[in-house]
Amino acid sequence: MKTKFLLKLSPLLLPYLVLFCGGVFLTFSQSLGFLTPLPYEGGLAEAYGSILSSPSFYSSFFFSLQVAALSAFLAVAAGTLLAYWVWKLPAKLQTAALIYKIPLILPHIAVAFVVLLFWSRSGIVSSLAHSTGLIEGMQGFPNLLYSGWGLGMILAYALKGTPFAMLLVMALLLRFDTRQIQTAAMLGASRLRTFVRVVLPRVAPAMHTAFIILFLYSFGAFDIPYILSESRPGMLSINVYNLYFKRDLARRPEAMAILVIMFCFAVLFIFAYTRVVNRLENVERKI
Amino acid sequence: MDLTLSRIGKRFKTKTVLEDISFDVGPRELVSVIGPSGVGKTTLLKIIARLDAPNAGEVVFSSPPSRKNPVILVFQDYVLFPGMTVWNNISFGLKSRRFKKAEMRDRVERMLDYFRLQGQRDQYPAQLSAGQKQRVAIARAMVINPAVLLLDEPFANLDRNLKMETARFIRKTQKEFGIPTVSVTHDLEEAFAMSDKIGILLEGRLKQFDTPKELYFRPNSHDTARFLGPVNIIPRELYPFFGVNGQGEETEQVLARPESLILESRENGPGWIKEISFAGHYIAYEVSLGERIYTVYTQRDSFRPGQRVNLKLVE
Repeated sequence: MKTKFLLKLSPLLLPYLVLFCGGVFLTFSQSLGFLTPLPYEGGLAEAYGSILSSPSFYSSFFFSLQVAALSAFLAVAAGTLLAYWVWKLPAKLQTAALIYKIPLILPHIAVAFVVLLFWSRSGIVSSLAHSTGLIEGMQGFPNLLYSGWGLGMILAYALKGTPFAMLLVMALLLRFDTRQIQTAAMLGASRLRTFVRVVLPRVAPAMHTAFIILFLYSFGAFDIPYILSESRPGMLSINVYNLYFKRDLARRPEAMAILVIMFCFAVLFIFAYTRVVNRLENVERKI
Repeated sequence: MDLTLSRIGKRFKTKTVLEDISFDVGPRELVSVIGPSGVGKTTLLKIIARLDAPNAGEVVFSSPPSRKNPVILVFQDYVLFPGMTVWNNISFGLKSRRFKKAEMRDRVERMLDYFRLQGQRDQYPAQLSAGQKQRVAIARAMVINPAVLLLDEPFANLDRNLKMETARFIRKTQKEFGIPTVSVTHDLEEAFAMSDKIGILLEGRLKQFDTPKELYFRPNSHDTARFLGPVNIIPRELYPFFGVNGQGEETEQVLARPESLILESRENGPGWIKEISFAGHYIAYEVSLGERIYTVYTQRDSFRPGQRVNLKLVE
């Protein structure tokens, strides 16, 4: 009976066990110095010690956190507002508004190039500003992409994440009863109050899911930072890449240690985020 | 405050849903519009609530509704805000109008008392029964003192034994608050019990608009009469059997409700009992007279099948 049950679940369990659990196990082992391509001569937790005592790790960690949080917040906010706007359009225009899904099929790296082409000092916006006489030369255009704040990456992740957030929010809006909005209006609520008190609570679950997924993706992804990141502080993913491929083989456990720390952070983040959301919702319900 | 519907018409593409609907709702009056499902009753309410626009005619308010005194439509399934407690649902309209906290608390408390919802003040809609949800929806409307209250099928989601109680409660509430109210329903008994006036909506037209008694006992057409319940047709040639004085009347027939006919045991009576069925608070007799079958409701159970009887119409 049990075997039959496990067999039925095997299409799901096998990839999970082999790829996910196997990958985490291998990464964790290598971070401790086991199963490395070359014999590791350091101590058991030496890689962790070296990473956690390095100030550059912390600056990279908090920089990645900032880029991920800001871009996910912007994507969810813009995605929710746009989804609401599209949902309120007449049915005919709603079909036309499906073009919002197009950026979903663009690879992240393509979005990075789009941002680069538009917002770099030699990009399209800068050229337009120059041709309209707003700036005198390339140097007059603010260095948005490499200002030290990760604006380029934030913009790229937000652009890529917005249609994704829209898609999730739209799925809930399509099941939303429009009579709730009519009732709120009859009861005298302004559009803003109706949106905040009636619509937002209904789409909040999709917003939270979108935020968690987008945040964790941009926290650890490599493609967009490879095009748009700056050297200092660098994104964690770039640090891992450099440690693994561009440094001494002996430093590979450090790269693995960063990956394990990132994984632990992701688990902790999901746990803390859902707890905070639940608590906030309960507090709101108690008022 | 009163409102007048003047020649309202509504089409959806090529289908005419409402045609030439006119009636008045006086101040402090409760009007019900009765009709079968799909006849356009909810559309009519939406037009009064200005959630839909008519293709013809207009709704005229003696003083136009405003944000302060709006028209409120209570939907069939109440549409409470699911993430808000009963207290927050009721106070929603007051908060939207930026009422001061003390006055808001005072008003909501009064509503909770009046609508017997004190025990549910912190509960969410999902935790309430259908009757409680309806009371919350009406309280949420009443708390802001609406110009007109519209009720869409107020008995549709209630248990059978709760319907009449609710009808009486709605009537009492409406009289207490004095807000002109229009209700649409297909529950006849409840509409009769609570309404000052009733309109019969059949095939998109208002067939008759009158007081419940007039409507029931003096329907102006067969369609209206049949819609309101079983009706017997007494042709002119049978007037003498029923004791109908047809002199001076031009009509070729009289419509009579089952409860307007009296059965009398008569050895050589013109009719005979064809069928008897027990219906709880009355007994229904099918009486054969001439080539017609007449239905009579009475509480007397002394008649037997085949018994010869006389029929009398009570005016």
